[in-house]
Amino acid sequence: MERKGHFAMTTVASASAVPSDTAVSVPVWAWALLAFAVFALYFVSQENGALLSAPAAQMLHELTHDARHALGVPCH
Amino acid sequence: MGLSFGSVLRRGVLAGMLAGLAAAVMIWLVVEPVIRRALVIEDLRSMHGGQAAPPGFAAHGGGEPLVSRTAQVVGGAVTSVVVGIAVGVIFAVVFARVRERLPGRGDFGRSMVLAAIGFAAVSLLPALKIPSNPPAVGDPSTVGRRTMLYAVVLLLGVAVAVVVPTMDRRLALRGVVASTRWALDVAAVVVLLALVLLLVPGSPDQVPADVPADLVWDFRLASLAQLATMWLALGLAFGLLMERIAARSRALRPVAS
Repeated sequence: MERKGHFAMTTVASASAVPSDTAVSVPVWAWALLAFAVFALYFVSQENGALLSAPAAQMLHELTHDARHALGVPCH
Repeated sequence: MGLSFGSVLRRGVLAGMLAGLAAAVMIWLVVEPVIRRALVIEDLRSMHGGQAAPPGFAAHGGGEPLVSRTAQVVGGAVTSVVVGIAVGVIFAVVFARVRERLPGRGDFGRSMVLAAIGFAAVSLLPALKIPSNPPAVGDPSTVGRRTMLYAVVLLLGVAVAVVVPTMDRRLALRGVVASTRWALDVAAVVVLLALVLLLVPGSPDQVPADVPADLVWDFRLASLAQLATMWLALGLAFGLLMERIAARSRALRPVAS
């Protein structure tokens, strides 16, 4: 699959100088990090008591309130 | 000479932090003044015992506030930086994964292209379907449904950003020329976005009668300005930081084979 993709790049985009030079190998842990970043985004923008206790969630909601509105996520 | 993922990730975190700071400045300059106007309406409601607002719209400004306004403004700025860093991390992982496929001149051009796609897919598209609202707007009883719709539109935006380039690569493999592919890509984006906007139901809320229309408009514009600032700053900062690696490696190896 990966090799096929590379073959396609070299044949089709032959105009670009060195295709292999631009490839960055992404380690497996990077995807765990990406998942964590998505979770962090959920936490600051949407967490309203699904994971935290009600008082803690309300505190978080009030502290992140202005940014939640500004980011355009449904707030209340 | 390949580029290590760690060096890309570090630049993503730094660029994300700068983007979050830029967005925080925009919140402070353009969003907060509109929020203050909206909070006046919430205060009026609690003074009139909530009679000006339909049931369920009772302001959360009533009674002793849990967090002071100052803490909310500072908290908003901190949140903006946290969001910037998280987006920067995601941006770096995606950039590293698709770098060789992104169009654009050098890493700066690629970074700007990816930032533009990111803004369109996860910020602009959801904002068009479920627009942002100032305080004093938003029925708490429908927040679950609005959040679900917002998430669906965001995921569909990401899906379009994945599907169209994949289609483009398939067509390229079959030898379809670039000009034809671009025309098909644009047509596919227009059709798919139109389908998302037409088929996904909108917000079930009505804007309460005591909230002026220009306040809502100003807020939505300010919110989009803030989001655009974040993505623009991210694309610029990440692109410039990536270009510096390229410049340094050229300087280190002036007679590279």
